[in-house]
Amino acid sequence: MGIRLIIAYIFMGGAIFFAIVTTIGLIRFPDVYTRIHASAVVLTISAVMLSFGVAIYVWEFYLSIKIMFVGLIFLITNPLATHAIARASYRRKIACPEVRSVDDYSKYLGRDRE
Amino acid sequence: MRRKVFTFFITLAIWIVFSGRITDDVIFVGLIASFITTWLYSDLLFRSTNRRKNWAFYFKKFFYIILFIPVFFYEAFISALKVSKHVFEKKPSFSPGIVKVKTTLCNVTALTILANLITLTPGTLTVDFDMRERAFFIHWIDVTTAKEAEMRKQIIERFEGWLEVIFQ
Repeated sequence: MGIRLIIAYIFMGGAIFFAIVTTIGLIRFPDVYTRIHASAVVLTISAVMLSFGVAIYVWEFYLSIKIMFVGLIFLITNPLATHAIARASYRRKIACPEVRSVDDYSKYLGRDRE
Repeated sequence: MRRKVFTFFITLAIWIVFSGRITDDVIFVGLIASFITTWLYSDLLFRSTNRRKNWAFYFKKFFYIILFIPVFFYEAFISALKVSKHVFEKKPSFSPGIVKVKTTLCNVTALTILANLITLTPGTLTVDFDMRERAFFIHWIDVTTAKEAEMRKQIIERFEGWLEVIFQ
């Protein structure tokens, strides 16, 4: 067992840890926006770490670059999807945040005057 | 025209990487596929610029981008750990809120990348961008201060400096 396999297993173990954290957070957090934090965003780190780990594990030029591409696409598309879900659910009043200490966005949309 | 040629070769290179081997039929199908992609979508993928700089300028930019990648992964990892700390508390103790943070960047690409970076680091999430005031609306999982300067320092200042150097 070489040093390369150990590094790959460390990456994959971190990915598994963050995936478990994501699942628990998805169940435990109170409203939509905090659940988005828990699910999509921590899961991005997990997916990217997993793709790194697998790319180190196989250690073949074409295959590794292909897997890194998959990780890169995760890194680009996930913030877009997250942002779209959050913005649409706020503007269409699908789920307004229940607990809020500061909320500048409702001022911007002119909702506090209603 | 130059943009179309550039798009054609980039898509062809990605095709070859994804197919994994170089034979006649793979190259043939790849040429057709990347031709169709270039013909339909080349104006969406890349923008052409009129500015001309010498090679050292672009080399410096590339060097900063390479340096930026480990910094970004470190920040993302640390803040992922911070969010995971909230998960394991007995009663999740945070105060979420949407704050408004102004930025000084002007480049459209830099603004997009900054919004993506804010979303990617767990704990903060870009909801919207106001073009007139140049301000991000950020959903923050744990609002500690209500002062503008403090928030700015905690959320975006660590990325803003890098992007300002890269996209000047």
